[in-house]
Amino acid sequence: MMGDKVEPRIGVFVCHCGHNIAGVVDVAAVAKMAMSLPYVVFSTDYMFMCADAGQQLIRDKIKELNLNRVVVASCSPRMHEPTFRRVVEESGLNRYLFDQVNLREQVSWCHMRQPKEATEKAMDLVRMSVARAAQLQSLPIKSVNVTPRTLVVGGGIAGLRASLDIAERGFEVVLVERLPELGGHVRKWTHLFPADESGAQIIGPLVKDVEKHRSIKVMQNSEVVEFGGYVGNFTAKIKNHETGRTKSVDVGAVIMATGFEPFRPFGYYGYGESPDIITLAELQELPPRADLLRPSDGKKVNKLAFIGCVGSREAGKQGHEHCSRHCCSAVAKAASDLKDKVGEVMILYQDIRTYGRGHEELYRLARSKFVIYSRFPKDSKPDVQVTANGITMRWYDVLSGDYLEFEPDLLVLASAMVPPGDIAETAKMFGLTRSADGFFNPEHIKLAPLTTHTAGVMIAGAAQAAKNASESVVDASGAAAKAVSLMARGQVEIESTVSHVIPELCSSCRTCVTACPYGAISMDKSREPAVALVTEAKCHGCGTCAAACPSNAIIMYHSTDDQIMAMVEAFLCTPAQVEGGTA
Amino acid sequence: MSQSQNETVVPEHWEPRILAYCCNWCSYAGADLAGTSRIQYPPNARILRVNCTGRIDPEFILAALEMGADGVLVSGCHPGDCHYTSGNLKLRARWALLEKVIEQSGVDPRRVRLQWASASEAQIFADGVKELTEQVRKIGPIRSEWK
Repeated sequence: MMGDKVEPRIGVFVCHCGHNIAGVVDVAAVAKMAMSLPYVVFSTDYMFMCADAGQQLIRDKIKELNLNRVVVASCSPRMHEPTFRRVVEESGLNRYLFDQVNLREQVSWCHMRQPKEATEKAMDLVRMSVARAAQLQSLPIKSVNVTPRTLVVGGGIAGLRASLDIAERGFEVVLVERLPELGGHVRKWTHLFPADESGAQIIGPLVKDVEKHRSIKVMQNSEVVEFGGYVGNFTAKIKNHETGRTKSVDVGAVIMATGFEPFRPFGYYGYGESPDIITLAELQELPPRADLLRPSDGKKVNKLAFIGCVGSREAGKQGHEHCSRHCCSAVAKAASDLKDKVGEVMILYQDIRTYGRGHEELYRLARSKFVIYSRFPKDSKPDVQVTANGITMRWYDVLSGDYLEFEPDLLVLASAMVPPGDIAETAKMFGLTRSADGFFNPEHIKLAPLTTHTAGVMIAGAAQAAKNASESVVDASGAAAKAVSLMARGQVEIESTVSHVIPELCSSCRTCVTACPYGAISMDKSREPAVALVTEAKCHGCGTCAAACPSNAIIMYHSTDDQIMAMVEAFLCTPAQVEGGTA
Repeated sequence: MSQSQNETVVPEHWEPRILAYCCNWCSYAGADLAGTSRIQYPPNARILRVNCTGRIDPEFILAALEMGADGVLVSGCHPGDCHYTSGNLKLRARWALLEKVIEQSGVDPRRVRLQWASASEAQIFADGVKELTEQVRKIGPIRSEWK
């Protein structure tokens, strides 16, 4: 912490975000109000603060008016805080002298029909931020070394590609795979789209390259059992299930390529009631033969049926609302392949989404081979009955406007891609959050899809969302590039928002020592009596110690008691509202 | 005019003022998602972002009530899902005590609400704001309780 004894000179910039904020919030009124607040020397509203011109405006005003604090009232700081921190830094201001107000995600977008109330809320939030800004202090910018080694979790197609990319750029990789064999789901897929190559043909050379690469250490039958540290300096404990031995590895970056699980659709279309009702994943794993044989009695299949969207696209059903993206094309590919071996192929679908390169061609190929596509309404799913005589499907065909029946020898359910059963534990271990579909959350869905909110931990492939093999490979190369750029720099800046014990105020009660989730606080025995001491490298900045300290001896930098209370006061103690306002 | 249980006169056109402490990783992100998803909820709450609910000193809540907040919401990661492993559990432990302190100080404990809302639970976050706002609206302004 550096002393900032000079009087605050705050600049407030209120963003329109085009129509996004200004369409609801009276941004001009907010900017005008801000001008009346203590220490504010400049305030304006502007179309796009994040655009080049908006950024330049901030830089110009800092120079022109000698601003030493900047408040931008725009979108969520989870989106553009890094952008604006960089802007103020370019003008010679410490990045911690910037504060952002969230007028878009938390005001205009969630109070769209209440412009008056939204504007009042915006004013309060700006008032709070300005009060906080006046209390902000510069913090030193700290860098740490990055261990030039990446941990890749998961040896499927994404993990393999990422490992190889990193190794080829000259960095070390530790690749951990839970199963005895590398290759993931793709290895098992017979009908892999869009080309005429099986999964094994695709994955074989990749596995070989990974296994023989000198910079890649492959750990099969192994799982990460403990994970800790911070960007550039993580430590993972990896347990081998065969030997029972645990090994500790230091890495600078992590790529999570933990993939998906094919949904086992019990309760859907007779799944589990007959061995001749299987999932698409199970069909793929049938050993390739000249003929397609029925699992129940080994007889040749003559009539084959598929049903799409099984456990996908179900509005309101948690974990099953998403489109699983690979199934339409995978069904088209499998159906065209198998049409040569069976008499009739029937595909029941809600919608067909063959969106990728070469996918539409597969759909056309299936049609040209006289695979029958029949559409059912989404609120009236096909009925499947299993009797001693076999399987009977009955459904309403949208195009003919009639009920149809079909008695397939084999029924294949194109079931959803869902996260692995233990993803919650994995997320917890690596400090990741998950989206509503259950997969890992990216840092930003559009702008940062491969990084996460845990700096240094990347996600690739189906660990992030349902996607096909080609898309997973694109992800993997992208995530590998992220890991490499981190390692190539050799150093990374870390947050200075750590806690600090004021030794003179510490009463040696050790409350903070037990409160800290990271064991970052110990007793400094070089003092008499011993007082608490924070090891900054271990501190993650949660502030639990500061809240627990009964002596107010702990400062949580950038989230000090004074900064928080200034915001509370600014909201609740404004002169106009003291008498119980009419907010 | 309506009357709440403790005979408080709820003034006309009065709107509850609510302070919401949200942790950066789960509930603040959940509130962002509520916006991105265009979920509409009462505009009464002002969100104050903290890194972790474990950062919240009970004094922050008591001070807010004393300064005139009609309600205080604390929203964090689900127990077991804390970005900092266990900060939210520390807050939960403090909360049990805090509720008693609030009650004994003569303030209706229904003015404070602790909830867990993950980064994907935008609706749970929005519903929490709505429920607390409606609850506090029935109880009336806090000024009536600070006598």
